[in-house]
Amino acid sequence: MISTRVLSIAALCVASSPAFALDQGDYRFNGFGTLGVTHLGGADDSHGYGVTGQTTDHWRGDQLSKLGGQVQYGITNTVGLTAQAIIKPQQDEWQGNLEWLYLSWQATDKLKFRAGRLGGSAYMYSDTLNIGFTNPWIRLPDEVYSQVQISNYEGADFIYTEPLSFGSLTVQMSGGVANNRKLFVLDKLYDADYKNYFAANATLAVNDFGSLRISYAETDVTSNDHAVVSTPFGMVDQTIIKLDSTHTAFTSLGYQYDNGVWVSSDELTHRSIDGASPIDAMYFMAGRRFGDFLAHVTYGQMKDDSGHENSWTYGLNYNVSPSVVIKGEFKRVDTHGGTSGVFVKTPQETVNNILFAQSAGAFGTPSRNFEGDIISIGVDFVF
Amino acid sequence: MKLIISALGACTLLTVSSLAQAEVAVIVNTGASSAPTQSDVANIFLGKDNSFKAVDQSSWNPTKDKFYSAVTNKNEAQLKSYWSGVIFTGKGQPLPSVADDGAVIARVSSQADAIGYVDKSTVNDKVKVLFTLP
Repeated sequence: MISTRVLSIAALCVASSPAFALDQGDYRFNGFGTLGVTHLGGADDSHGYGVTGQTTDHWRGDQLSKLGGQVQYGITNTVGLTAQAIIKPQQDEWQGNLEWLYLSWQATDKLKFRAGRLGGSAYMYSDTLNIGFTNPWIRLPDEVYSQVQISNYEGADFIYTEPLSFGSLTVQMSGGVANNRKLFVLDKLYDADYKNYFAANATLAVNDFGSLRISYAETDVTSNDHAVVSTPFGMVDQTIIKLDSTHTAFTSLGYQYDNGVWVSSDELTHRSIDGASPIDAMYFMAGRRFGDFLAHVTYGQMKDDSGHENSWTYGLNYNVSPSVVIKGEFKRVDTHGGTSGVFVKTPQETVNNILFAQSAGAFGTPSRNFEGDIISIGVDFVF
Repeated sequence: MKLIISALGACTLLTVSSLAQAEVAVIVNTGASSAPTQSDVANIFLGKDNSFKAVDQSSWNPTKDKFYSAVTNKNEAQLKSYWSGVIFTGKGQPLPSVADDGAVIARVSSQADAIGYVDKSTVNDKVKVLFTLP
């Protein structure tokens, strides 16, 4: 009688637990979010910092905060539907976006195909760009994570995972388009279209030695951006950036290590845009866990023809529960050689710098360096 | 009354201590076609290898703690973080889980390609032990 009951309970538990692939008619809801504030200090002449310039000298929550939900539904035992929506502030306004909406087909135990609106894969942390809970930082290293601004596209991909005796190998290839997206240039968001998007990546995970990932992504970008600026010849509607199906490519080489106590996360990237100076960027992070605490330090750098930015970030995380982590970070950033790095530079200052260089100092102002101290505090959670 | 509480306290301590010291056995069906290595088991329980159907334990108990820290180098928070990454990238679903050691044994003994982990003292002849974690 007792064993019958045990078996019934076991059967019930298995039936009610989600399977590795959702069974037909099953659905699953998960949520995630970040509540965080960030502040830029010691940069009186700056107009902000970060991928969309939302880190300023005011304590602001719109660079880091977000709330997301994901629903998955099993149409058959191998075909599923996934939708992920994210609400986050963008330039002082909360906006809801349908981040992902795709059909997936688990063709074999090792091979999955997906089609619809999918997440990009350019960076090592592309998969979890919005899931702060899974990342060691509350703000991903800006030097690398400010360079590719599309987080999703419409198209298809496949993911192949091969278990190995010493770890696993995962290969992903994807292609599609991303029209009507936003591109942050200098101090403003502009419209942009990304055609012929193609990406491929491979991750080799080796037991006890961490995982190595290499990724390549390319696309043709169209975006024509203007701003009215003052010049010695009067007010001018100046072209800020003119991309007409311009080929861009991004390569990333990343490494992650985590033995339960010591943690490291490192990434080297190279971005090229036809007709523009290429950018090399990197970060190296080392951390150690002390029970529920994780202390970490990160060195970040980005470099182009005009100069380079480097930064040191010191962070401390505390796992309040298995689903909630509090994070605090202090980041010191400096630029050298007259580049603005990830700091916001206005179109006016940009034109002044160009005038100065082209007129041998007769007009405009010389390029300058930027510096700042960024404090970020917040909580990441999943449910 | 005080004596009873002390005795209960001591008993609880003893239980926790003996649970923490218990060996963990990784088990498969007696008719399993192959014998996964510890590395294979790590892949299976991280959702990277579907050659066996992993049967997880739903609550974080000393057996689960020892299994995951020994086989995957992950504690509860790290495992939660790992699966969040898998789930929110649409690359997989959490493993099916059952309530306790008895339920794992029941499941593994009834399914040819199932694999699980239990306190070694609960193992019976309906399942085969692949290896133990001291």
